[in-house]
Amino acid sequence: MTQAESPMIEARDIRKTFGTFQALKGVSLTVGRGEVVCLIGPSGSGKSTLLRCINHLETPDSGVVRVDGQPVGSVENNGRTTRMSARQVAQMRSQIGMVFQMFNLWPHISAIENVALGLTEVKGMSVPQAAKIAREQMERVGLAAKCDAFPEHLSGGQRQRVAIARALAMEPKVMLFDEPTSALDPELVGEVLQVMESVAADGMTMIVATHEMGFARKVADKVVFMDDGNDVEAGAPDQIFDNPKSDRLQRFLNKVLA
Amino acid sequence: MELDFSVAWTYLPVMLEATLLTIMLALVTQTIGTSIGFVFALGRTSRFGVLRFAVWSYVWLFRGTPVLLHLFFVYYAAPLFGVTLDALPAAIIAMSLSSAAYNTEILRSGIQAVHKGQIEAAEAVGMRYGRIVRRVVAPQAIRIVIPPYMSNFISHTKNTSLASVITVPELMLTSQMVYSSTYRAIEILSVAGLIYLVLTSCLTGLQLWLERRTSYEARGMSRRRRRQFLGASDASVRMEA
Ligand SMILES: Nc1ncnc2c1ncn2[C@@H]1O[C@H](COP(=O)(O)OP(=O)(O)OP(=O)(O)O)[C@@H](O)[C@H]1O
Ligand SMILES: [Mg+2]
Repeated sequence: MTQAESPMIEARDIRKTFGTFQALKGVSLTVGRGEVVCLIGPSGSGKSTLLRCINHLETPDSGVVRVDGQPVGSVENNGRTTRMSARQVAQMRSQIGMVFQMFNLWPHISAIENVALGLTEVKGMSVPQAAKIAREQMERVGLAAKCDAFPEHLSGGQRQRVAIARALAMEPKVMLFDEPTSALDPELVGEVLQVMESVAADGMTMIVATHEMGFARKVADKVVFMDDGNDVEAGAPDQIFDNPKSDRLQRFLNKVLA
Repeated sequence: MELDFSVAWTYLPVMLEATLLTIMLALVTQTIGTSIGFVFALGRTSRFGVLRFAVWSYVWLFRGTPVLLHLFFVYYAAPLFGVTLDALPAAIIAMSLSSAAYNTEILRSGIQAVHKGQIEAAEAVGMRYGRIVRRVVAPQAIRIVIPPYMSNFISHTKNTSLASVITVPELMLTSQMVYSSTYRAIEILSVAGLIYLVLTSCLTGLQLWLERRTSYEARGMSRRRRRQFLGASDASVRMEA
């Protein structure tokens, strides 16, 4: 299979245990190039853990993750699995953008420096080069006027847009969003969803863990319902929301759409 | 008894010379203690249990026993290892070891105060450990750590007076020698006290300056960074320049 044909993200049979608690019980997920997949499911179902296994912030107990055909975290060689070096993992992560629920901006530097830091520290760019790209990305998320603001002085919605710009600046192959609007006041959710929608429209491959069913229905190519560490049901948004097959999904939708 | 400060005046040059030794002892041991403390603090926050335990044990031992004991111990125990140490090197070793223990704890508290999510965000863009420490953890930890670090630096500076017990001719020992030959204890001790106050006041001043310098939200972006990141097209930069 050539790279162009392979799916952009492939996670196969991911298992993850914390102590004795099984957070992921063998989850598989395939995301095509330019596709947007939304992960929905009750709290504790394993959405965050799955995303964190994909960029190896968590090390899965077993299973394979590939991004653009390249393995992340561990390499299989003639049936033997060897772990990647820290350097290789970092190199893969630089191609996987991640946006966190709590933004996780660095509070000691301005917004534009947050966006530029990965470029100078990981890509080895000069400050002027990095600054130019960072300015463009700040403009892309509608915050050109806030370049010199420190995170503390930004609203939640603005912080999350800076976090998105920070991830986009690295020109990642895929973007992972972990409940990007859950920590926001309701009136700030829209501006962030709008930016995400435009990123999707630009052809980015995305996985979005979200409780925003409206966004999932509108933007997702595929919706995956997770419950209790399993991927219970997957399908097109219409199918998932209008024609849920499993009881668990029906019950979940009744609760969240009530 | 009448006070006579002319004696103090006569011996001031001797005492100032001893002060230089006090300053040297404080700076050198604080620097060594901070360097070791930084490495140990990383070890203390490492994911390797053995390393964490080794550092924890070190801190437990050296923070749990008096500096006075360390001084005597290093001074008298060195010959067992086939070396004879002069008083000053012995004091430098002993006070560095104890300073390292305190600084490990202080720096660790700063490192751990940096939210885990920020380190994950740095990992997620592909930054490696060393860069994360340098660019994300250290700048924030430094700020958090300044008040306890400087408090400890001040106590440490005063503690150099303990080196007098192993005959390091620093300010305290010199004062004692002067007043035991002149019988002007009150006067000489007053002057010594003033000198210590000047030293510790300098450190307090340094603390204020450092706190101001590192309050990033209040100060905003530096002019240099503005120029670098916002470019010459930014009107406010042109006005400032
Ligand atoms: N580091 C950890 N240590 C122990 N347990 C963990 C850890 N991380 C996650 N878990 C547990 O794993 C389960 C799945 O967590 P996860 O965060 O993936 O759920 P989620 O679907 O993202 O939920 P939410 O909607 O609340 O974000 C939870 O029960 C959680 O308590
Ligand atoms: Mg979650």
